[in-house]
Amino acid sequence: MDSQIEDLMNKAVNHALQIGAVFAEVRGEDTIRGNIEAVDNEIRTVSVVRNIGIGVRVFHGKGNGFSFSNVLDEENVFRAVDLAMKIAKASTKRTLVNFKLAAVKTVEEKKTTSVNKHPREVSIDEKKDLCLRQCQTATAANKQIANATSMFGEYHGKICYTNSEGTKVSYEPLLIGLRIACVAKKSNVIVDASNDHGGSVGLDAFEDASHTPEKIAEDAAKWALEKLKAKPAPAGKFDALIDPKLAGVLAHESFGHLSEADFVVTGDSPLTGKIDQKLGTDIVTIIDEGLPEEGGYKIHFDDEGVPCDRVEILKNGVLTHYLHSRVTAKAMKMKPTGNARSQDYSFEPIVRMRNTFFDAGKWKPEEAISELKNGIYAINTAGGQVDDTGTFLFKAIRGYLVENGELKHPLRDVALTGNILELLKNVDAVCNDLKIFSQPFGGCGKIDQRAMVGLGGPHIRVKGVLFGGTG
Amino acid sequence: MENLQEVGRRAVEHAKKLAADEAEIYICMEKQTSVKFVGGIFASRGGAVKGIKGSLARIGERWIKKKGLPIISSGTKAGVGIRAVVNKAVGFSSVSSIEEKRVLEAVEEAVNIAKIRPPDPNWKTLPEFEKLSGQGGIFDDRISNIDVEEMLGLCVDGCVCGADFDKRITNALSMVSASAISFGVVNTRDVEAFDRGTVFSAIMSFKAKSGSDEVSAADFVYSRTFIKEMRPIAINGAKAAVECLGRKALPEKYVGPVVFENMSWSELFLTIFTYGISTLNVQENRSIYKGKTGQQVSSESVSVVDDGTLPEGIGTAKIDDEGVPRQKTSVIEKGVLGGFLSDNYSAKRENGKNTGNASRQRAFGSVAYANQPIIRPSNLILKSGKGDLDNLVHELKEGVLVKGSLVGSGHSNTVTGDFSVTAGTAFKIENGAVAYPLKPCTVAGNFYESLKAVLAIGSDSKNFGNIICPSVIVDKVVVST
Repeated sequence: MDSQIEDLMNKAVNHALQIGAVFAEVRGEDTIRGNIEAVDNEIRTVSVVRNIGIGVRVFHGKGNGFSFSNVLDEENVFRAVDLAMKIAKASTKRTLVNFKLAAVKTVEEKKTTSVNKHPREVSIDEKKDLCLRQCQTATAANKQIANATSMFGEYHGKICYTNSEGTKVSYEPLLIGLRIACVAKKSNVIVDASNDHGGSVGLDAFEDASHTPEKIAEDAAKWALEKLKAKPAPAGKFDALIDPKLAGVLAHESFGHLSEADFVVTGDSPLTGKIDQKLGTDIVTIIDEGLPEEGGYKIHFDDEGVPCDRVEILKNGVLTHYLHSRVTAKAMKMKPTGNARSQDYSFEPIVRMRNTFFDAGKWKPEEAISELKNGIYAINTAGGQVDDTGTFLFKAIRGYLVENGELKHPLRDVALTGNILELLKNVDAVCNDLKIFSQPFGGCGKIDQRAMVGLGGPHIRVKGVLFGGTG
Repeated sequence: MENLQEVGRRAVEHAKKLAADEAEIYICMEKQTSVKFVGGIFASRGGAVKGIKGSLARIGERWIKKKGLPIISSGTKAGVGIRAVVNKAVGFSSVSSIEEKRVLEAVEEAVNIAKIRPPDPNWKTLPEFEKLSGQGGIFDDRISNIDVEEMLGLCVDGCVCGADFDKRITNALSMVSASAISFGVVNTRDVEAFDRGTVFSAIMSFKAKSGSDEVSAADFVYSRTFIKEMRPIAINGAKAAVECLGRKALPEKYVGPVVFENMSWSELFLTIFTYGISTLNVQENRSIYKGKTGQQVSSESVSVVDDGTLPEGIGTAKIDDEGVPRQKTSVIEKGVLGGFLSDNYSAKRENGKNTGNASRQRAFGSVAYANQPIIRPSNLILKSGKGDLDNLVHELKEGVLVKGSLVGSGHSNTVTGDFSVTAGTAFKIENGAVAYPLKPCTVAGNFYESLKAVLAIGSDSKNFGNIICPSVIVDKVVVST
C-alpha cells in the first residue's frame, strides 16, 4: 500500500471530526487474490484480482454510518465521509440502540508476515505446476476418473486501520490453498470427491510428504473411486463418528454463528440469555481464536483495530462467551473479543468468527470407533447451513457404515440434520487429534459478506444423529 | 458512461501495444445502497430477554415507536476486469479502480499472465461485433436517486406490518437494497457495447413463537423498478411463519408426492438444473444431460426457456457480460431436451451457438469486474401450468407441502442431482387439504428423476432473481422428521 493511501486515511479521519463525528475510523486495503485452475491436465484459468480502496465508519448521535470509495482522491474520499455522516444521522432517528463503542486500549502496531516461499515470491509457473501435478495424479489413478479439477488460491497484501482515538494498526494477511475435485464415472453412476490443504503458510507446505500435490490428489481419486461402490446412506437415527473437518463445520456453522453477539443482542439467537448454562456434555469445549498454533487462517487484528484474542465460547459444556464487536460488547456490557470483521474495504465490520474449533479431548480415535456398535462414520463436508433456531443440515462428502466398531462399506450422500443444541448434549467422545483447516476458496457467508475463516476439531462421537437419505 | 468507454478504449490500445493478440475489458460502475432493519421492542413479547432488548423493553409496550437496529451501507464501486490473449492463452486480471494508471497496470498483469500460459487448444477468439437490438437498459431513476432515509422508512414499514399481523410474531428483520449499474465491454474485435440498469430488492423475514415452537419464514421481491409498498411482502412473510406454529412429527417416513411451493422449488431448480444445462459442463462430462439432446428428460408438462430479453427480467440486458446480445433459448420443450446455455468459450469450442449467457458473478458482495465470465441463466423460466398452491394441495389425497426457503439446497450434488434438504415450513396433506404443520423435515430425492416425476405445475409463477418458476407437484420424494 502506498503512503498516499495512508495519508488519505488520516485526512479522512480529520475530515469526519471536523464535520461533527464523535468517532471515526478508516480502513485501507491493498490486497491480491490469485487463482489458478486446471481441468484435466490443462490450465484453464489464471487470474489476479487486486482490491484497493478505503472504508469509513463514523459515529454520531445514537447512530453510525458506513461508506466507501475506491476512487482514491481527496474529493471522493471526503464524499464517502460525508455520506457516512448522512447515514449516521438517518440512523439516529430510527435506532432503538444507542450505538456506542466499548472502550479498548489504543494500539499502535505493525505486524508483518514472514514465511518460507511466500506466494508473492513464487512464480506463477511454479504455482501452476502444483495444479498440473494434482490433475496428472488424479487422472492417472484410474480410467474411471472422468474429470479432475485442481485449484490453487492465494490471498495476501496489507490491511491498515486508523481511528480518531489514536489506534493505528496494520497487518499482512496471508492464506493459500490447493484443492482437487474428482468426478468418477461407471456406466450411469457419477460420483465426486475432493481434498484440499491450506492455511496461513508458505508454499513450502506442499513439500511436506503428507500434503504434496500428488498425495492430496491421490486421496481424492481413491475416495471418488470408492464412492462408485458406495451404497446410499440409510435414513434414520444413528450414532455418528464425525471427522475433524465435519466437526469444524459443526463448530462454525451450527454453533459459532449462534454465538455471534449481533444475533444475541436482537434476541434472534437461541443462545440469548444462556451464559453460564450447561448446553453440552462435560467433554465439549468450543474455541474461536485469531492465531491458533494448530493452523488455520491467522488474523492479528479485527476490522475495528482490536487484537484477536482466544475466546472459549463453550467450556466443558457451559456457555461462557459470545463473540463481540466493540458495538455489541458495549451493548451487553462485555469485553470486545476482536470479532468485528468485514469482507473487504467496502463492507461494514460485523461480528464474525476467525478460527472456530472443538478443542481436543482425551479419546484416541481408534477407541472412539471401536466402541461404535451400529453407526455412521461421516467425513468432511462441502459446507453446511444452519437457520437462526439452530437447525442444521450438513452433507458429508464421504461416509461409512459402522458395525461393531468396524467400517462395513462406504456410503454416498450422507446428510446429517438436527438441532445443534440437541447435538451438543449427545457428544459422548472427543478425541485427541485436533486439526484446524483453512483455504481461500469460498469462505463463510453471512448476510452479504464472505470472510475467510478457519475451522476444525478432533474426531467426535455423537449419539442419535438423524441421517436423511434416499436409502 | 462516455468516460467508461474512453477508459475501455485506452486499455484495449495498451494491450495491443504490449503485443496481445486479443484483449477485452469489462468495465463497470455501480452505486449500491443497502438498508437492513432489525425490528425491536415487540421481540420481548416472548418474555424477558437479556441484552439490549431486555434493558430497553417493557413487556406489553407497543413497538409502534418504529425503532430497532438500522444497518446501512452506501457507496460507489468502479473497476475493470481484463482478459488478454497471447498465443491462444488467456490471462485475467482485475483492479478495483478506473484510474488510468491502475487500469493500465492491470492490463500489463493480464498480458504477463497470458504469456506464461500454454496455449489453450479450445480457445478460438473473443466475441465478434454483433448488432444489438434495442432491448435492455431497464433503468429507474427512482432507484438510482433513492435516499437512505426513504429506504429505512420502507424497512420500518415492513417490520411494523409483519409485527402487527399477529401477536405471536416475536422478531422481524427487513432488508431493502437498490443498485444502479453502468457496464460495458470493449474488445479488439470491434465490440464496444454498453448498457445500464437498476435492481431493487426487498426481503421481509419474521420469527413466530408459540409454546416451545419457533418458526422463521420470509418473503421477498426482486424488481427492475422501484416498489413503494412493503405491506404485501411483510404480510406474506409473517403469515408463513405463524401458520406453521404447532409443528408435529410425521408418524413415519413418507415417500410419495410432494407439493413444492415456488420458492422451495426455485432453489433446487437454480442450484442443480443450471449446472446440468451448461454447455461447458456437458463438454467436460459433468452434466447428466450429455448426449441427451432431443430425448425425453422430464414429464411432458415441463417446458423451460432462458430469456434474456424478457421485459422487466432481472437478467435482461442488451448484452451479456462478454458484450454478446442477450437472447431467448429453449432448454426443454414439453419434456424434450433442446439446447444448452453457452458463453463465447464453450460455444466456439465445438462451433455451437452462443446463447449470450456469459455472466460475471456478483453473489455475496463479489463485484462483477473481479470475476471472469461463466455460464449462468439470464432469466430461466419454468413455464407455468394451471392452479394456485391451494389447487395443487387439493389434488393430493395424501402428501406433503414444502414451503419457503430450504436449508441445504446449495449443498445438493450438482453432478448427480441428489438433494437432501431441510424444510422448516412444511405441512402434511390429507384428503386434499393441509392437515397440520410438520417439524423441520428432511426432504430427499434426485432432481433429475424428480423432473420426470412432475405430476402437476401451478400457475403461481414468481420472480426469484435469475429464475422464474411456479409451484409444482413431484412424485417419489422422501420426507422424514
